[in-house]
Amino acid sequence: MSSTPRQALGNLAGLGVLLAIWVFYAVYFSPTQGWTFFLQLTVDGIILGSIYALIALGYSMVYGILKLLNFAHGDVAMIGAFIGFGVLTLLGGPLSPAIPVVALVACMFVVAMLGSGFLGLAIERFAYRPLRDAPRIAPLISALGVAFFLENSVLLLFGANYRNYDGYDLISYNGIHLGGSAGVFVSYLGVMVITGALLLMVGLVALVRWTRFGKAMRAVSFDREAAAMMGIDPDRVIATTFFVGSALGGAAGVMFGLVYSQIYYLVGFLAGLKGFTAAVVGGIGSIPGAMLGGLLVGLVESWAKGYLNGNVADLVVFGILIGVMLIRPQGLLGTPALQKV
Amino acid sequence: MKKVMVAAVFAVALAILAANALGSAKAPARASASSLATASVTCGKLRTIGMAAPITGPASDIGNQQVRWAKFFVKRWNASKANRNQKIKLVTGDTQLGVDTAFAVKVAQSFKSNSKLLAVVGPAGSQEVVASTTAYKAGGLGFVSGSASRTSLTDGHTDGNRRGYFYRTVPSDAAQGPTVANYMTKTLKWKRVYIIDDQETYSQGLADGVQKILNAKGVTTKRDSISQKDSDFSAAIAKIPSNYQGIYIPWQLAPQAQAFGQQLQAAGKGHIKLFGSDGLFAPGVWKIAGSYDSAFPYNPTDPVVKAYVKAHGGNGEFFGLPSYVAAQVDTLAVTKACKAGHGKTTRAAVRKQIAKTNIATTILGFRVGFKSSGEMKLPAAYGIYQIQKNGSFKRIG
Repeated sequence: MSSTPRQALGNLAGLGVLLAIWVFYAVYFSPTQGWTFFLQLTVDGIILGSIYALIALGYSMVYGILKLLNFAHGDVAMIGAFIGFGVLTLLGGPLSPAIPVVALVACMFVVAMLGSGFLGLAIERFAYRPLRDAPRIAPLISALGVAFFLENSVLLLFGANYRNYDGYDLISYNGIHLGGSAGVFVSYLGVMVITGALLLMVGLVALVRWTRFGKAMRAVSFDREAAAMMGIDPDRVIATTFFVGSALGGAAGVMFGLVYSQIYYLVGFLAGLKGFTAAVVGGIGSIPGAMLGGLLVGLVESWAKGYLNGNVADLVVFGILIGVMLIRPQGLLGTPALQKV
Repeated sequence: MKKVMVAAVFAVALAILAANALGSAKAPARASASSLATASVTCGKLRTIGMAAPITGPASDIGNQQVRWAKFFVKRWNASKANRNQKIKLVTGDTQLGVDTAFAVKVAQSFKSNSKLLAVVGPAGSQEVVASTTAYKAGGLGFVSGSASRTSLTDGHTDGNRRGYFYRTVPSDAAQGPTVANYMTKTLKWKRVYIIDDQETYSQGLADGVQKILNAKGVTTKRDSISQKDSDFSAAIAKIPSNYQGIYIPWQLAPQAQAFGQQLQAAGKGHIKLFGSDGLFAPGVWKIAGSYDSAFPYNPTDPVVKAYVKAHGGNGEFFGLPSYVAAQVDTLAVTKACKAGHGKTTRAAVRKQIAKTNIATTILGFRVGFKSSGEMKLPAAYGIYQIQKNGSFKRIG
């Protein structure tokens, strides 16, 4: 349900104008003027936005194929963060890793993505598939139930204690200074997160556009019954979509843990809501929309914290969600749903 | 689709509202306070006191220190032959400080309903004290906190009146703020200090107090705030000018301070020193070497302190130390009330005994007794500690 290129271009142009006005104000007229501060917040926002984008992709993929808002997705990312932490602890911890750091980080991502992916499969099989032909509100309620189930399961298993990844101790406190020592600073960990998220997104786009599975996925998304008549197994495609979306959520969870250190059983709640916001802002069901929405939400949150106050950042982010719903319910890169008659 | 999307947005909005409502949950309207306060309880050989502490959650490290110190007192008390007919049972309740004050209210309500329970140690956080006061008062229970230090808790009006019910074995922030500000200006010679509160009233009160004193001394200050639920501090850190010498973080969650310190270092601003408050007195959890912290006094030469340190592998866990004294206060009050009532007592009678507390020698290093406000009678100075490379806290002032 992506928009036509002309519509998308128009939306992006409008967004560009808004952003240009904002940049002009922030740099030249805000109380905290200057390019360095603005660019530092922008870099931080891109790092945060990359994580939101990965979460948003899970929302968008599931919605695209099933028209289901999987509110448990943020908690799947939380489980991914806990799996990653478990691997980190098992392999010696951040201060004395038992294997080379690169291998350790790779293990954390692979195991967390597989674990989250299989969790996604299980959720689809037991919580959503039985409700596939039920009224649309039923799977929505089921999704909320799964979210609470996951949160409370982690609470029961691991307690409410915070776990600290100590990601900077593991990887490095160093980074790149852009524009000298007083300029913009990007930590190597931040670079890793942006690059990792970008690679995963490119991989996903390639999967959807250029593989048989991607073609099947698009077919099921377009018309599940017709796809089934063409020999595609919709159940299998939907399950695989859940696996891929949840695996991306798991990767986002590990990235979150590495960059922001603290994880606990409710960490997926707000991150999931932000991911959902990103998916809606970008145009839920649209993969490029989810990426764009994620980046936008991350940037807006970072700018709001920097130029306004940490107290109002969430207000601004969710205010944008409401604004988009009122002005353009299909999101920036989505198209209005056609009503079949 | 539009309808479903709009419904979903409303569902999200409702979820946020519900989460906020839970966060500020108040205790239900007071029940029959007088009946619970004056209900006769048979003391028997085993008397029950409650302990409200964050056993799990982001502040669990300090909460468990409090529980271990309180249990240490109970163990010593029960081990004494003189107390074989007046033993104490400590019932714990998990308040999950930093997650939601509603947990503290639930604990207070369960203590209120426990007819055998005669007094309470805790809760730990000032916001928890405020949230659960109604329930404790409704149950007629006296509660003695070993860490809730917000000044206004005992003024009788700002955060509600809990006089005759609430007592504390820590000095208030009115003592902590000046100690911190003086150390910053006189010893560290800081001229520029960045202050970040965590939006909780404990934190805001301390931040306000320290900022006021620093400004009066000609120190340049800037103020910001973060939420206890924040993990991403990059924007807050970007706002801190590199030429500032210190950042004052009177927070309650040590893991959050640790994450903040790591992100500060990763942003290339590790040269700016952190200065925390007693809420961050968590060796091994907040471990950014070189950071400073203020915490309440204690007597390191006291045999009880030495015994605890020895029993815990050299780890003093001193944040929990005032909870030992709080348990001591409750236990002595219950014992006296039971004796006065010839084997029977009431919660109201126990509260009267708490108010009359007069313990000549305590591990805090001074006599403990209470004013009518609930504050300790004797003034006590806060100590200043510095975090060492191995994560331990060393007293330096």
